[in-house]
Amino acid sequence: MTSRLIDESLFDGESGRGDGERPGAGDPPRLVGARCSACGTVVFPRQDSCPRCADGAMSVRVLPASGRVWSWTLQAFPPKPPYRTPPGGHRAYHVGYVDLGEVLVEARLAVPRAEIRIGLPVRLTTVTAYQDEDGTEVLTFAFAPDRDGGR
Amino acid sequence: MRRTDDVYVVGCGMHPFGRDESVTGMDMAERAVRGALADAGVAWEDVGYASGGSDVSGKPDTLVGRLGLTGVPFVNVQNGCATGASTVLTVANALRAGEASIGLAVGFDKHERGAFHVSASRYGLGDWYAETGMMLTTQFFALKTRRYLYEHGISERALAMVAVRAFRNGSNHPLAWRRKPLTEQEVLDSAEVSPPLTQYMFCSPGQGAAALVLALGDRAFDLCERPVRLASLALRTRRFGSFEVFSPWLPPGPHRSPSVDAAEAVFRTAGLRPADVQVAQLQDTDSGSELIHLAETGLCGHGEQEELLACGDTDPAGRIPVNTDGGCLAGGEPVGASGLRQFHEVVRQLQGRAPGVQVPGAPRVGFTHVYGAPGISACSVLTV
Ligand SMILES: [Zn+2]
Repeated sequence: MTSRLIDESLFDGESGRGDGERPGAGDPPRLVGARCSACGTVVFPRQDSCPRCADGAMSVRVLPASGRVWSWTLQAFPPKPPYRTPPGGHRAYHVGYVDLGEVLVEARLAVPRAEIRIGLPVRLTTVTAYQDEDGTEVLTFAFAPDRDGGR
Repeated sequence: MRRTDDVYVVGCGMHPFGRDESVTGMDMAERAVRGALADAGVAWEDVGYASGGSDVSGKPDTLVGRLGLTGVPFVNVQNGCATGASTVLTVANALRAGEASIGLAVGFDKHERGAFHVSASRYGLGDWYAETGMMLTTQFFALKTRRYLYEHGISERALAMVAVRAFRNGSNHPLAWRRKPLTEQEVLDSAEVSPPLTQYMFCSPGQGAAALVLALGDRAFDLCERPVRLASLALRTRRFGSFEVFSPWLPPGPHRSPSVDAAEAVFRTAGLRPADVQVAQLQDTDSGSELIHLAETGLCGHGEQEELLACGDTDPAGRIPVNTDGGCLAGGEPVGASGLRQFHEVVRQLQGRAPGVQVPGAPRVGFTHVYGAPGISACSVLTV
């Protein structure tokens, strides 16, 4: 089965996907934002100007792959389009903000209800968002429990 | 104390909130305007300046076709949840600038059922954001509430108490939509939408209209036995670091809301403190939002909300009565009308003629607060 990333601009093209290797195999591709050279603000996704100051130049910033759950909730009911229902239909999913230190990133959380809590160590992964008409799996970023984290 | 450049509310009118398929947004607006004019004892021809707002239900200035083609200047406003406050600001500034001595502000809306529809590109976001199921206002309110409860040691029961008070106040109010009181357990046991928020902790898009007649200085006292002074009104947009809806990222914090800026500005201008407020309206899109806004506006300290609610301090007979008409939770959220509903309720309370439960002890200082996407807030202080 083939797969693709939902939006290449969110990810670092160098990480996690050598030639011929499908994304999701091995380490997941890292998220990429931008950092302001003047005030140090880190944004995601990347953008060309700083939302905080007028002085800086924005440069590409590969974001940390692990962090902690900062807040979380559940999406109980199926959202309206343009939400794309995953293969097999809507199942309630968790979303939240993950504290990566320099920035909080909003993401799907692949964490079971029994485990989910503010402060939980999590690590970057990918989940299937939906399928293209030709059956290609469309992957988006998510965070899952970091079994080695919490130190 | 009369000052010639002060602006007063001298009349108010409202079309009941809720669902009524037999009327359009414009029908409701016309009824609210005629109600406000009658309440003020003036004719449409006396209105020298007007402003109206609606999110989805038409061009407000076309109301002149129904009310009379007097040539009156009429400014349309579309400013999200701050639409109502923006119409009042527009009219008040025009009166102070000498454009007219009597003005009218009107807001109305009639929304479709179900969650508000949003598009990613309209908010400058990529399609992925909506396609992956992250572009929902309900999630935002839940995420903000979850973090707030955690940081300030507040239990989920406090969220239910907010809803219970809203529906109790609504049940006593002839203009409210939801008139059935609910118990804490019923609120907590209602359908899980996005925890910690359940179905009955959220307001629904609805319909309604409200209007105010404003007058300048001595003219106000000629028209009205008990004019309500617009002591201050401030509108603010977000600054860096506020935690807003549809944010794929946030800075590490602290996260300061435009509500803090708007509230500080109105209290400073009015020369009053939050502790002076005797009747308040706070944006309660959901129970969590009201909890947060109680502290952001300075009406209580962060983390004090649960005790305040448990003691009944926010009830009509309490120390700081909040949303005495049931707010958005009981009234629904017609975006263009909600802000003016708040003015309507506070004005009537200060005049001692509340449509629902009257705050006892002749309150003299009122407060209104709205907050909306993407990071706007408007507050006002009203006095008699
Ligand atoms: Zn900067």
